[in-house]
Amino acid sequence: MPHTLATYANPRHWGLAIARYLRSWWYMVHLGAVALVMALSPSTYNRQNRLAAARYIYASTWQVLPWFALASALISLVIIRIVLVTAKSYGLSHFALEMVVRVLVLELIPLSAAMFVALRASMAFDASALGLARAGLSARAANDEALRRLRRDMVPQLLANAFGVLSLAMVTSTIVLVLAYLNVYGLLPWGLTDYTRTVGRVFTPAVTIGFVLKTVFFGLAVALIPTAAILELQRYPRRVNVTVQPGALRLLFVLLLIEAASLALKYI
Amino acid sequence: MTEPLPDEPKHVELKAMILLVAVGILVAAFIGYVMQARGVFEPTQRLVLETDDSSGVIPGMDMTFAGFPIGRVSQVELADDGKVRILVDVQSKDAKWLRTSSVFTLESSIVGETRLRAFTGLLNDPPLPAGATRSVLRGDATAEIPRIVATARQLLENLETMTAGESDINASLANISAVTGRMSGPAGVLGGVMGGDAEARKLREALDRINSLLNKTETRVYGKDGVMDDAQVAVRQLNVVLQDASATLKKVDAVLVEAQAVGANARVATEDLGALRGEVDASLRKVNRLVDEINRKWPFARSNQEIKLP
Repeated sequence: MPHTLATYANPRHWGLAIARYLRSWWYMVHLGAVALVMALSPSTYNRQNRLAAARYIYASTWQVLPWFALASALISLVIIRIVLVTAKSYGLSHFALEMVVRVLVLELIPLSAAMFVALRASMAFDASALGLARAGLSARAANDEALRRLRRDMVPQLLANAFGVLSLAMVTSTIVLVLAYLNVYGLLPWGLTDYTRTVGRVFTPAVTIGFVLKTVFFGLAVALIPTAAILELQRYPRRVNVTVQPGALRLLFVLLLIEAASLALKYI
Repeated sequence: MTEPLPDEPKHVELKAMILLVAVGILVAAFIGYVMQARGVFEPTQRLVLETDDSSGVIPGMDMTFAGFPIGRVSQVELADDGKVRILVDVQSKDAKWLRTSSVFTLESSIVGETRLRAFTGLLNDPPLPAGATRSVLRGDATAEIPRIVATARQLLENLETMTAGESDINASLANISAVTGRMSGPAGVLGGVMGGDAEARKLREALDRINSLLNKTETRVYGKDGVMDDAQVAVRQLNVVLQDASATLKKVDAVLVEAQAVGANARVATEDLGALRGEVDASLRKVNRLVDEINRKWPFARSNQEIKLP
């Protein structure tokens, strides 16, 4: 029976819909667990997989990093200026630095890094199929070939995407920390002690662990969810709206969930 | 096998390795910087501050001296006696600013964070030992608000009572108005003080009478043939009497001198009488002994006839 909108509108099929929904999530979690176990076992790191991982790291990080860093630095500079000027006008300039670090480094940059890696690398299934199609294969053959590569390179891709999120977040966070310092103190080194204390006040052990965990979870989500969605589609074929990348909505949902959970744990 | 993609770039593995190493170094440096910022590598000494309310105090907040952060709150705990113990890690290099006479304050303002500050008036005092326990003074602007409101309300009630229609102040003001009204009357200030024009007139009459009385007194006392003249004569007479009395006393003095001489003679005579009496006593004892002798030797001694001395 085709699963169309009419199926979900019928209350008699709601149980089925829920079961399908849960099975889909379970498939994703199971695939993630298998991929993690494979990523942690040394036998995975043979020459072929290392090369694949290197290729995906190149695609998800090396090609993206300069432009992402530049764009983030520009936007961060604007936000830092706005926060500093506003805080100064209210006479609260000593809170501005802390707010910049909290808002940009802890929240916005990891999230935007995850989004960027997801768009650039993780959702590239259709694009790679398109590339294969351009190489002379038929659409169906290209699709099958892309799927085959996806299944084979799942672990390297997962590692590369997680690493991509981590490196983008870390590099941009460092740039933003330097920009914030330069905006507040200028090119003088005398504010370094004060600035270090402010950063230390923000990065309490709980916040630091939360920041690292959030970045790692972002990386895992970005690496896993689109791949799992494509493989699931291939395993349990059903009619889908082909204009939407499989797993895109779920990835967005999971990213927001992780961000909300992180905020709730930190501030509630 | 992994087939190279059509647009496979060169040195992919090398670039990936460079990225891995660079990001690894960055992560390690970031963690090291955060640990440095958290004061993990700084040698510290412990200071325990005691207070009765921990609101606003959070682990990680700074303790400042003259605006410079010198320590960091590491823990806030509730002691067995119900007091709040704030454990502060003071950097060893800045511990010199804290002396035994240092004062610690915890200030919460209405807007902004709570501030923990240290004040040292005498930098010559001995340094604060590690692990010292001090009580912290609280300056809480918000905690003062209920008290200020209560005081203000009381003040306003008092003001209301004071300004009410039948209040004491109004009555006093009415009295003052009446008094000043009388003062502006024909009798002037005197009328205001005495309570009316009639009373003021009586006072004026009394003053006139006292005046005339004084005139009469002057005439009778200090005038010709007045009391003062009589007194002057009496004083002169008294002077004469006193001179006479003085002469009489001199005479009495001479008599006394003579009496003294008589007394001295009498004393000499008395001394002679003493010697004479001694001689008489000796003679009597001799005669006594002689009589006793005769009584023993005399044949009539048995008839108990004794010679009686006169």
